[in-house]
Amino acid sequence: MRPSFFHHLHPPTIPAKQSRWRYTLGAGGTAVFLMLVLGATGILEMFYYVPTPDQAAQSIQIISYLAPFGGLVRNIHFWAAQLLLIVTAVHLVRVVFTGSYAPPRRFNYLLGLALFIFAIMLDFTGYILRWDQGIQWALIVGTNLIKTIPLIGNSLYIVLTGGIQPGLPTLIRFYAWHIFGLTLGAIILMVWHAFRVRRDGGIAVPPPHLRTDKKRIHRNELIQREVLAMLLTSAALILLAAFIHAPIAQPITDINIMYGDARAPWFFLWVQQMLKWGDPFVWGVLVPLIILVVLALIPYIFPKPAEAEVGKWFPRSNRLAQIVLAVIAFLIIVLTIFGSLPSS
Amino acid sequence: MKRLIALGSAILLFAIVAAWWTNSRQLKPIVLIPTLTGKPEYCLTCHSDLPAISPSHPIKTFGCVICHGGEALALDANLAHSTMRGGANPSDLSVVQGSCGGTNCHSGLAADNNNHIQRVMTSVQSTYAGAITNILYTFGAQSDLTARFGIRVVTDNQITTSTGVPSLEAFDPTTVSNPFILKFAVNCLFCHINAQPGGIVPPERNAPGMTPGAQPLLGPQFDRLTGCAACHTPNVDSFPQGQIHKLTTDIPYTQCNTCHNRGNYDLQKMTFLQRTDQPQLTDRLQNYYQPIAQFTKCEYELDCIDCHTRTEAMGDGDIHSNEADIQYIRCRTCHGTPTQLPLTKTLTDPNDIAFRQAQLNQVVNLQLGDTILVTDKGEPMWNTRVLPNGIYRLVGKATGQVFTFKPVMGSACTQNGFDQSSAYCHTCHSVQR
Repeated sequence: MRPSFFHHLHPPTIPAKQSRWRYTLGAGGTAVFLMLVLGATGILEMFYYVPTPDQAAQSIQIISYLAPFGGLVRNIHFWAAQLLLIVTAVHLVRVVFTGSYAPPRRFNYLLGLALFIFAIMLDFTGYILRWDQGIQWALIVGTNLIKTIPLIGNSLYIVLTGGIQPGLPTLIRFYAWHIFGLTLGAIILMVWHAFRVRRDGGIAVPPPHLRTDKKRIHRNELIQREVLAMLLTSAALILLAAFIHAPIAQPITDINIMYGDARAPWFFLWVQQMLKWGDPFVWGVLVPLIILVVLALIPYIFPKPAEAEVGKWFPRSNRLAQIVLAVIAFLIIVLTIFGSLPSS
Repeated sequence: MKRLIALGSAILLFAIVAAWWTNSRQLKPIVLIPTLTGKPEYCLTCHSDLPAISPSHPIKTFGCVICHGGEALALDANLAHSTMRGGANPSDLSVVQGSCGGTNCHSGLAADNNNHIQRVMTSVQSTYAGAITNILYTFGAQSDLTARFGIRVVTDNQITTSTGVPSLEAFDPTTVSNPFILKFAVNCLFCHINAQPGGIVPPERNAPGMTPGAQPLLGPQFDRLTGCAACHTPNVDSFPQGQIHKLTTDIPYTQCNTCHNRGNYDLQKMTFLQRTDQPQLTDRLQNYYQPIAQFTKCEYELDCIDCHTRTEAMGDGDIHSNEADIQYIRCRTCHGTPTQLPLTKTLTDPNDIAFRQAQLNQVVNLQLGDTILVTDKGEPMWNTRVLPNGIYRLVGKATGQVFTFKPVMGSACTQNGFDQSSAYCHTCHSVQR
């Protein structure tokens, strides 16, 4: 068969062992697919969404209830965004737990981590675009956290919100970041990340002389697996979208009066839980930043994965990095669970 | 692998079919663009079976949202209803200004007699100032009978009568030490048109230091809504569940009875003695207002609104200290005295308010040149007519029933003409039960 453009995006052959689903978990590829879904559904939503405080929530009602298949499109966009965070987190965990960040892939690990941060910011800005009472608490608290940063906090707040309190400039800025700034950055990073995967020698495997299993599969096989993953992901998205609707709430009537549930979006519940412990700068800004720095330094400060152990789960050589990530992940999950419990 | 892809495709196909199915099960939106707002609303998607609320509020002109609020575009019941004014009753006095107000609507100019909301908000029916004042005075908590407190804070910037007071503070039962006044506070603060009959215990009942008192009276004979709908949505029990959607000026006596026929006060014990014989009584005479009251035929044959004017019922825009300051319909209003015929007026102005009022009930065909009775304050009793033979005719506003009656003048009545108290006239003119 004459290779198509899509075939050419893949290496001609890849190691059979490392191309198994149980090894990759399909997370990286699924994340790319979810980004494509998000782009397509996001464009459709842009035809209806009005980024002004007095019309945003109503335009989302129009999308949800009145535009043909609008509710389905919005629900798919919502679920793809939630799954994207889970899938990218799984991807990060897989890379650390298989030692795949070992040189020469250290820089690409950082690109991947940056993409993860972009995904979180895209999720948060998209969440804020609802501009209804369901997001009001997170908007106020999230932007106020910026103010707690010493020296630059207040200026940064004004840069972010465009005023002394969230309003029209804030929504326009979040919208611009969501559909343009962050999306463009994410596309560049994604292409760069994928390019570096190829440039760094494809999926992480031990050097040829240390490989125990030298079997390779053709890219046609890989593409078929990707097609299967896309089919199943699409089916999951559509089913989720059809039966569990994206959150929606009544419009904000006064930005200074808080209504309803004072709760962060689920991916920031762990931060919200920490905010209960004291100083908002320490727990809301500094600790998350330290966690990010620790994650970024994983390829640089912890014992490196041994060459022979690359490309399999839980190598002994980088156990410390695995433990650090496991502890961070465990704490975040526990805090998220506590944060999601009904407040007493 | 190809089998797996075929299976994956089948699963995706199933998902698409399922999504199509759920999408097709969604409600087909029914849009309405009321002429007054020009903005689309989709309430009729679910509520197309509701009857129009009144001929004065046609759905195509008003729509739903202008009165009820709510999310006009949402097709999810919870979201759509989340921002409704006053829940199911936008006329509750806590939200009435937003729902029924506006200079083109019911908070219009006093000069045009359109300031209904201001009048209701200041009326004794909603302030309960009369009872509060009398109790405070009786038990020495204030030195005169001028109202200082109401159920809530009320102010009036434009006093037009000699008995009007500028403002009332909210009566706070938690500051009361006198046991009688405290008992009054516990037992009696339900007695105003914005009190919810049954079910909801208002916050003042749960104030710290308060002992739980009598609950609001329950029973179909007491069922009514709050705010404007307390009077203008009669017989709430007659509607199917969730279908109470009617405003009318045809208010039968039974609606007034939901408040004014519940029993009697025991001022010694400061308690309310509920009638125990209701609602079995279907005979109007048996059912008549106040078991110990003296009354005459017209008081149980007519509906209350046939004589009592809207100013009496809804207030005149001033805050009054007592019911007596605002209730001025007397026997002589219709019957006159031995020396004086009742006041009358011949309608010569096509813009006379009598025509507007007559249009609302449409039980009489009022014409220019007709002579009608008027109250001491000049209010038209538009449902009456002075007939050429000197006899008067009254048409029931809620029933359309026709009554004729004669003036006292020229009759054998020996009243002095000045005493219009209930006991005086009822000495001769009372009905035995």
